[in-house]
Amino acid sequence: MSDAGLLNVVLYLPVLGIVLVALLRREGPVRGLSLAVMVVQFLLAALLYARFDATAEGLQFETRLPWIADWGVYYQIGLDGYNVLLVLMTAFLGPLVVAGAFTAIRKDVKLFYAMVFLIQFAMLGTFVAQDLFLFYLFWEAMLIPMFLLIGIWGGERRIYATFKFVLYTAFGSILMLAAVIYLVYSLNESTGITSFAFADLYRSRLPLPVQTVLLVAFGLSFAIKVPMVPLHTWLPDAHVEAPTAGSVILAGVLLKMGTYGFMKLGFPLFPDATRLFAAQIMTLAVIGILYGACLALVQTDIKKIIAYSSISHLGYVMLGLISVDLLGIQGAMIQMVSHGLTAGGLFLMVGMIYERCHTRDLAAYGGLARLLPLYSVFFMILTLASVGFPATSGFTGEFLVLLGAFNSSWHQYQQGATYPLALSVSAVAGVVLGALYMLWFAQRFLFGAVKAPHRPFADLNLREAAILGAIAAAVFGLGLFPDGPLQKTELAAKQYQALVRAERVPGTPPRQAVATEGRTETAP
Amino acid sequence: MNWHAVLTAMLPEHVLLAGIVLLLGMEIASIRPRGPAVLPLAVLTAAVAAAAWLHASGYVAAPFAGQYSADPASSLAKAIVLAFAVPVVLLAREEFERSRFYLLLLASLYGACVILSADSFLTLFLGLELMSLPVYVLVLLAYRRPESAEAALKYLVLSGAATATFLMGASLLYGATGLLALPVFAAALGSGDPLTQAAVVLVIVAFFLKAAVVPFHAWAPDAYEAASVPVTAYMATIIKAAVLLALVRLFGTAPLSLPIVGLIAILPLASIVWGNLAAMRQSSFRRMIAYSSIAHAGYLFYAFLGDGPGRYEAVVFYVLAYGLMNLLAFASLPPSADDAVRDRLDHLRGLFHRAPYAAIMIGIAMLSLAGIPPLPGFIAKFLIFKNVMAAGYTLYAVLGLVASYLGIYFYLRVIQCLFMSPDAQAADRSPSRGAALGASLICLIPAILLAVLPGWVIGRL
Repeated sequence: MSDAGLLNVVLYLPVLGIVLVALLRREGPVRGLSLAVMVVQFLLAALLYARFDATAEGLQFETRLPWIADWGVYYQIGLDGYNVLLVLMTAFLGPLVVAGAFTAIRKDVKLFYAMVFLIQFAMLGTFVAQDLFLFYLFWEAMLIPMFLLIGIWGGERRIYATFKFVLYTAFGSILMLAAVIYLVYSLNESTGITSFAFADLYRSRLPLPVQTVLLVAFGLSFAIKVPMVPLHTWLPDAHVEAPTAGSVILAGVLLKMGTYGFMKLGFPLFPDATRLFAAQIMTLAVIGILYGACLALVQTDIKKIIAYSSISHLGYVMLGLISVDLLGIQGAMIQMVSHGLTAGGLFLMVGMIYERCHTRDLAAYGGLARLLPLYSVFFMILTLASVGFPATSGFTGEFLVLLGAFNSSWHQYQQGATYPLALSVSAVAGVVLGALYMLWFAQRFLFGAVKAPHRPFADLNLREAAILGAIAAAVFGLGLFPDGPLQKTELAAKQYQALVRAERVPGTPPRQAVATEGRTETAP
Repeated sequence: MNWHAVLTAMLPEHVLLAGIVLLLGMEIASIRPRGPAVLPLAVLTAAVAAAAWLHASGYVAAPFAGQYSADPASSLAKAIVLAFAVPVVLLAREEFERSRFYLLLLASLYGACVILSADSFLTLFLGLELMSLPVYVLVLLAYRRPESAEAALKYLVLSGAATATFLMGASLLYGATGLLALPVFAAALGSGDPLTQAAVVLVIVAFFLKAAVVPFHAWAPDAYEAASVPVTAYMATIIKAAVLLALVRLFGTAPLSLPIVGLIAILPLASIVWGNLAAMRQSSFRRMIAYSSIAHAGYLFYAFLGDGPGRYEAVVFYVLAYGLMNLLAFASLPPSADDAVRDRLDHLRGLFHRAPYAAIMIGIAMLSLAGIPPLPGFIAKFLIFKNVMAAGYTLYAVLGLVASYLGIYFYLRVIQCLFMSPDAQAADRSPSRGAALGASLICLIPAILLAVLPGWVIGRL
């Protein structure tokens, strides 16, 4: 099979899954079949990852076909350092989501797996799309399956939560759509080419005010997805009401759409405006880290604790991206994957305990370590990964981000700007707060006097242990051997850095918020 | 007069006329065929084929010079309008036993074909009246409740007002130029002369009335709700499509003067906002679709803001996406003995558990009308807003997009009814109907083509 064909197969396998599920007459074999399709998809994605050449510039496994020729829209997909890790992570979480829902979903089973496949297709498509029109199609296509996942299989207030989610996200998308059309139109005016290809759009030269407006339009859409404070209020509702599978997809992959959007589009497309507002964006990122952590500290619903911790962890990603420091960027890329694994895993674990006890009230639990030893071991692993314990993926991500942010702000401090340094230092407090809320949560949940809504209940069965085992292996793998992923993303990080530092409009923006040029940086 | 041109250029109309005469003869002779829909279906299919053939062969002729002409664009428009009527007839099969319905339908379609080929205001007027008059009767034909008569009368009176406005505009234009030919209108669009501008405004307002644009929309919700499902489908798709496609012919590629730009930006914008807001509060499906169609009329008029050549492309694509999706929704509505029950949005509750295929089809139609990618409605909307922005009206484009956001809520509410609600209590569990299934497939398959290969479709317009 040709290289480009392989990526297409990975992308369209979920569509095949939908067709197969729709064709089945009985509900019995749906679960096994869905799992099989997802596993095949993961194996092929792993093959893609293994064959991804870390030293090659540009797109790999690329397909480029004219689609709407009159408008300059191409069907263009491909892998690069930006998306290779995220594609692998999405494909990795797919089978876990499917397997995790085996016993939890009993209503409309066929529709459920069809929707999981549909959102998997849309998410992978968003990551691999290299054409803005295609990107937008996939980006919006995620909305409907998630709307149904929360709305049909969710908790009591599911209708409220799912409408809130969709109306929030769609508002951002509409503004982004206006910005997309304007961007392509002005590219046509300034260069004469009509193209939606990212590579062409990177060459646009927009005046600073236009860049600012477009950055706000794109940024609002991405910031809602991340979510960045103060646009985060949909997240706790959506997470709490969503079924486990929905939460895992939401936390694991969907939130990364926002940060990926900033990394691939928002910042590099409008670099001058980004530099101009770097301090403000950094402030929002740090507020997200601290505010999310503080909110997580006071929650009594175990799903909400993890939901708010997501806001905090995604703040690190934003911090790394806006630092425009090579370490920070790579840390952000690792942190995206790490958060996908740990938050996804923790939501799966909450789902498992909910299936046994039917409550998410933290006060109802205590001393689970004695009742469910195996469960507790996995829970501690994910908790430690979440707080960034060394040897886990969380450490690699957060450490690199903080290093990068400090690096960048130190250089600005030497040039006389103290504000970024103050922000970087206060971001460190987020690590302490993170350890505080997660460990306190684990302490109340797993240790102390034994208490549970009803018992005895069984420890993890083989299926659940296998799911969590896979996640734990990935968490340690990324923590202990980050070399491979870091190498594969290095070129993309450098490209991002070059794009965001480039002065598109000569001589306009003040450069106070950006690290000095000419420093030698090396990837670890 | 060139008889060959008369025969060929008007072939779709001739086929319709033959059908009308045949049906009329059978009605007079009291011949009641077993399947009353078979003959109209055959006539329609033949007319669609004739129009498609004229389009494909690039036939250009003016059998009545200065009054009526056929060209590939007008043939395509006729083919679209006539093809939309096929699912309507399939839907009507079980509602209307007598052939009166089909007779009126074909007569109205004849009028639609005439306005799509009109070259002078006289022909245009003739076609508009021929298209509208049968519809007043069609609204009344399914007389089930007293409101039907009221709605039909309202429609008649407001359409009369539209006609009067149209004639006033045409006569002003005649007074200014001494001509009734349509190109005069296109030339007047860009002129600064107050008399011709007033004429242009009057003609456009008449089209606003026909297409139900705020503030000339009040007849639509009542008429849509009072009519039966096939007639509502006919009004929402075919009448609207014919009016807008005729307007494209009227506008041509002419540039617009600034006051005209204001007129066809602000009222349609108000239409989008009000249509989307009012639709949120409806509990009747057809009333909701009426407000939705008021909003869609707004998008369609937005297409005229764009640069000349893009107008035709944008309107045709939008009409295709909008019409197919509306018809798909109507074709998939669950049946019920009581028309009033069938019309309630509540009747759709839990439909997914009763009829999964129908629920998924209505869902797709609603999402496409809401403009959610990758469905055809999104690509159509994108095309329009792209043209508006390219013409330099960035602010109008952004406002239109933000207004379209308002629409998402009520379309999603239908999805909520279909998938997230428990079954309705008094649900009729009728077996699935072959004709409705056929109608939904006729709409679905071209819609998939629009979504998957939009570039191919646009290249062929």
